[in-house]
Amino acid sequence: MRQINRNMAVFLSGLFVLTVAIPLMQGQVLPDYAVQLVGKYLCYALLAVSLDLVWGYAGILSLGHAAFFTLGAYVMGMHLMREIGARGVYANPELPDFMVFLNWDSLPWFWGASDSFAVTLLLVVAVPGALAFIFGWFAFRARVNGVYLSIITQAMTYALMLAFFRNEMGFGGNNGLTDFKDLLGIPLSSPGMRLGLFIASALALAAGLLIARAITQSHLGRVLVGVRDAESRTRFLGYRVEEYKLFVWTVSAMMAGVAGALYVPQVGIVNPGEFAPANSIEIVIWVALGGRGTLVGAALGAMVVALTKTLLTGWLPDAWLYALGALFILVTLYLPRGIVGALEGLKPARKPQEVAA
Amino acid sequence: MRLIRLVLICLMLPVAALAQSFDEIATLLPDGSYEDRAARVSALAASGDPRAEALLSALAAGDLAVLKADGRLVVVTGNAAQDALTGTDAGPVTRRDVTRVRVNNNLRGQIRAALGSLGLSATDPGVRARAASQLEAAPDPTQLPALEKALGTETDPAAKSALELARATVLLSAPDAAPEARAEALSLIVARRGASAQALIRAQLDDPVLKDAAASALTHIERAEKLRGWGLTLWQGVSLGSVLLLAAIGLSITFGVCGVINMAHGELVMLGAYTTFVVQEMIRNHAPGLFDWSLAIALPLAFVITGAIGIAIERGIVRKLYGRPLETLLATWGVSLILQQAVRTIFGPNNRQVGNPSWMSGSTEVFGIALTWNRVWILLFALAVFAFLMLVLRRTALGLQMRAVTQNRAMAAEMGIRTGRVDALTFGLGAGIAGLAGVALSQIDNVSPNLGQGYIVDSFMVVVFGGAGSLWGTLAGAFTLGIAGKLAEPLAGAMLAKVLILIFIILFIQKRPRGLFPTRGRAVEG
Amino acid sequence: MSILNIDNVSKSFDGFRAINDLNLAIAKGELRAIIGPNGAGKTTMMDLITGKIRPDQGTLFFDTTHDLTRLDEAGTARLGIGRKFQKPTVIESLTVGENIDLALAGPRGVWSALRGPDRATASRERARLLDLVRLADPGRLAGELSHGQKQWLEIAMLLAQEPRLLLVDEPAAGMTDAETMRTADLLRDLAGEHSIVVVEHDMDFVRALNCRVTVLHQGHVLAEGPLDHVSANPEVIDVYLGR
Repeated sequence: MRQINRNMAVFLSGLFVLTVAIPLMQGQVLPDYAVQLVGKYLCYALLAVSLDLVWGYAGILSLGHAAFFTLGAYVMGMHLMREIGARGVYANPELPDFMVFLNWDSLPWFWGASDSFAVTLLLVVAVPGALAFIFGWFAFRARVNGVYLSIITQAMTYALMLAFFRNEMGFGGNNGLTDFKDLLGIPLSSPGMRLGLFIASALALAAGLLIARAITQSHLGRVLVGVRDAESRTRFLGYRVEEYKLFVWTVSAMMAGVAGALYVPQVGIVNPGEFAPANSIEIVIWVALGGRGTLVGAALGAMVVALTKTLLTGWLPDAWLYALGALFILVTLYLPRGIVGALEGLKPARKPQEVAA
Repeated sequence: MRLIRLVLICLMLPVAALAQSFDEIATLLPDGSYEDRAARVSALAASGDPRAEALLSALAAGDLAVLKADGRLVVVTGNAAQDALTGTDAGPVTRRDVTRVRVNNNLRGQIRAALGSLGLSATDPGVRARAASQLEAAPDPTQLPALEKALGTETDPAAKSALELARATVLLSAPDAAPEARAEALSLIVARRGASAQALIRAQLDDPVLKDAAASALTHIERAEKLRGWGLTLWQGVSLGSVLLLAAIGLSITFGVCGVINMAHGELVMLGAYTTFVVQEMIRNHAPGLFDWSLAIALPLAFVITGAIGIAIERGIVRKLYGRPLETLLATWGVSLILQQAVRTIFGPNNRQVGNPSWMSGSTEVFGIALTWNRVWILLFALAVFAFLMLVLRRTALGLQMRAVTQNRAMAAEMGIRTGRVDALTFGLGAGIAGLAGVALSQIDNVSPNLGQGYIVDSFMVVVFGGAGSLWGTLAGAFTLGIAGKLAEPLAGAMLAKVLILIFIILFIQKRPRGLFPTRGRAVEG
Repeated sequence: MSILNIDNVSKSFDGFRAINDLNLAIAKGELRAIIGPNGAGKTTMMDLITGKIRPDQGTLFFDTTHDLTRLDEAGTARLGIGRKFQKPTVIESLTVGENIDLALAGPRGVWSALRGPDRATASRERARLLDLVRLADPGRLAGELSHGQKQWLEIAMLLAQEPRLLLVDEPAAGMTDAETMRTADLLRDLAGEHSIVVVEHDMDFVRALNCRVTVLHQGHVLAEGPLDHVSANPEVIDVYLGR
C-alpha cells in the first residue's frame, strides 16, 4: 500500500513538473503541435487508468473500453459541432453540415442538449456511465466471467462501431464529427486553447489517479481484490459481487468518457473507427506494459506506448505492428507485472508491515 | 385511341396483305406513322416472301433508306447502296443522297418479332425455338397464324414447347381472340412460367372472362413468390451459417479443450486463403491445366501450414501462460498482429486475386432459387469438416483424450493422459481447421491481410452462443446466427441486423451463460 | 428448535439425481458430521443450503422463517450461514489482517464499503480471532501462508462473519495429525454458540468430534445417529465397503 502511495507521489510530481514546464517551453523549444501531442498522451493515460481500475483491481478484462472513451468523445464532439454554428460549408445556423447533406430538416432529439456546455460536461460522464451500467447490470448479474466477459465487451464496442457507421444514427456516419472551430468561443487552434486543454488533461489525469487510488485503497478496494482473486469466497462472505463490479465498472467507464471528451478537441475529429475492437485491445497492452494493478504504471505504459507509436509510425511505419505484436507477446510472457511491478521487484524485499494488533 | 387503332389494324391486316403485293407494301414503309409502319412490317413478315428477312433486318439496323433522286428503296452499307427489292447495285451514295427510314424502339421490337416469325419455318429446330422465344418476348397478334401453322407441323419437343408458350403469350396479347383459347393460354402460361409472367397475367385482370382465373393465379404466384423469398433468405442464412461454422469450429475446439481464446484464429484463416493464392499462382505459372485441382492441392497444404503454426503458438506461448486465459488472449492477439503485418509485408496490403475452379463457378436453380456453386460447395465442405471433427473426437484416441481433458483436466492428468501433448495437438487441429476454412473462404471473400479480422467477432459470438467446446453447439450456433442475421437484414438493414444480433447474444447469455450446449463436466470454481 | 430444516429436497443435473428426497434437520447449537462416499451429494447439499443452486423440489428453511431457496450466496451469508471450502480459499494478494477485515460482520453494501468497518472494533476483533487460530503476523500476505495456515485463516474469517450456522467441508484435509485434533477441539468448542455441519472423510476426525453423524448415500440419508451406531448399520457397511 505504501508502495502505491510512493509511486503515486512520484508520478504526480512528475506530472506537475510537466504541466509547469510545457507552458514555459511552448512556442520556444516546443512547437504547438507537441503540446497537443502530450495532451493526447495524457488522455490515453487517463483511459489506461480507467481500465486498470477494472482489470487490475476487479479482474474484469474489458476489451471494449474504447467504447466508453469514444462515447465521451462523441458527446464532446456534438457540442463542438454546434459551436461551428453557421460557419459550416452549408452555413446552416441550425444543423451541422452532415445533416444538411443528408437533407434533414431539424436536429434529432438527442442533439437537443448539445448546445449547452454545462450539460455536455454532464453527459460526458453520464452517457458512458449509463451504457456501462446497463451492460454491466446484465453481464454481472448473469455472472458472465473471464474470457466470456472479455468477448462480449468486444462485441459491445463492435456493435457500437457498426451502429455509428450508419448515417441514420445521426452522428455523421462514416466521417464522424470534425471541422470543429472553437470551444467556449476560443479557437481550438489558438496556443492558449491548446495549453488550456493540455492543462485540463493533466488535471483530469491527476484527479483520475487520485479517485482510483481512493477507491482501491478503501475497504471497497479490498472487496474488489477479493472478487478478483477469489470471487466465490467473496460471495460466501456476504458480498454481492455483481454490485461491486457494477460500481467500479461504471466509475471506470465515466473516467474513460472524460478522457475521450478531452481527446476530441485536441485531435479535432472523432469517427466510428475509434470504436474498433483493436483500439480497445491496445489499451490493455498499455496497462499490461506499465503494470496491472498499479494505476501509475497504467498511465506510464499508455504514454510510453503512445510515444513509441508516434515515433515509429513516422520513422518506420511498417515496423509498428510488428513492435506492437511483439510487445503483447513479450509483456505477457516475461513482464507479467509490467514495468512498475518489475522495478518494485528489483528493490530489496519489503519489510513485513506492522499492523497495529 | 391507340389501342383501338391497333385492333383495327390487326383486323384489317390479313385482308390488306392479300390485297397488296410485297413490293407495294415495302415501298410504303417510309410513309405514315410508326403504327402504320408497324402494320406494314407485320404484313411483310406474314407474306412469306423470301426477301422479307433481308429487308426487315436492314430496317431494324437503320440501313434502309430512300434515294432522294428517284424514290427507290435501297439498303445502304457504307458508301454502297443496293436496291432493296431487286438486289441490284444502286451505285455509290453519300449521306446527302438518301433519306433513311426512321425506326423507334417500339418499331424495332416489332421488327424483331416479325423477323422471329420468319425463323419459325427454318429447318434447324434450334432456330425455330429461338424464333418462338422472340415472338414470346415481343408478342404480335398478327403472327398468330404463322405460329399455328408452325405448331401444326412441329415435331421437335423443345421447339414445340417454345412455340406453345409463344402462342399462348400472343393469344393473351390479343384480347379479341376466342375466349376459350385465351383461357387455355392463361393456364398454360401460369403453369409454365409462373412468377416471371406476373405482368402478363395481371394484364388479364381487365378481361371479363379471364379475370377470375388471372386473379387466382396471381394470388398463387404471390404466395409462391413469398415462399421463394423466404427460401432465398433461408438459403442465404444457411450459406452464411456455413461460413460462420468454418470460421468458428476450430476456435470452439481450442477454447473448449485448452480453455484459451486464440485471437490469432482469424489470421490463421487468412493464411489458409493466402496458401490458396500461392498455390494458384504456381499453377498459373507452371501447370495451368491443374487449375481445377488448385483447391484440392491447397487444402492439405493449408492444413499442414496453419496447423504447424498453431502448434508453434501453443508450444512457444500458450503453454507458458497456462491457467491465465486472459493473458493468453493478449499474447495471441500479439501473434495476430504480427501475422497480419507479415502478410502485408510479403504480399502487399491489397486484395489478391483467387479464382474459382470451373466446378465452383456458375450456379444452379432449385425451386426458383439461384444457388451459386461456390456457396453450395462451401456448405458441403463445412458439413464435411464438421463430420471429420466429429469422427476425430468420437473415434480416435486423441478425440477421447480431448474429451477427457475438456471435462476434467486434473482427472485426465491423473489417469496418465499427457495433457500437454493433447493441448498442443488440439491447438494444431484447431489451427489446421482454420487453414481449411481459409481455403474455402478464399472462394467468396477478398483475400487481403484483413480477412481474418472480419470473422473474429462473429466467430466468437458463435462460440459463446453455441457453447465452447461443443461441436453441436457450434453447428447450431453458426446456423442460428447465420439465418437469424439474414432474416433480420430485410427488416432492419445489414448493419442494424448485426447490431441486433449482438444485443441478442448479450441478452441470451444472461439466461445461459455457458451457451446453447454447455459442455458437461465439473465446473471449475475460482 | 431447528436452525436448518431440509425437507424432501431433490436436485438433478442432466438427468443425474445428485440429491434425492433429502430430509435433514440441524438443531440450534448442534454439531453434526456428515459422511458418505464420493458422489453422495455432500457438496451439492452445501450448494443448496447456501443458495448457490436451487432445488428442483422440496424446501430449505433457515431458523424456520427464512426460505433459503429465494436467496443467493451473499444473501444466505448475510443471514448467518458461513461456508468453508474443501480447498482453502483466502484472498492471496491481501494480508492476513485484511482478509479478516473483509470477513468481519457488518454492512455489505457498496456504499458502506467505501467507508469501511469501524476501525477500533475491527482491530479488536482481528486480534481476538488471530489469537484463536494462532496466526501471529497480520501483515503477512495470505498467499505466503502454508496450506494449514490458510485453513486456519479461513476458519478465522468464517468466525469473523459471526455466523449462526457453519458449513465446513473437509477441514482436516491437508492438515497434520496435531492440527486435525486441534481443529476438532475448536469445532467442539464452537458448537453451542454456533450450529455446525461438518462434511468429512477422515473417520478419526469424525470420532474426535464426538457428535451425531448422518450418512449420505446417493443424495439420500442412509442412517443417522452416534458414530458407533451408524458404523454398525449393515447398509452403511455395505455402501462403504462395497459389495
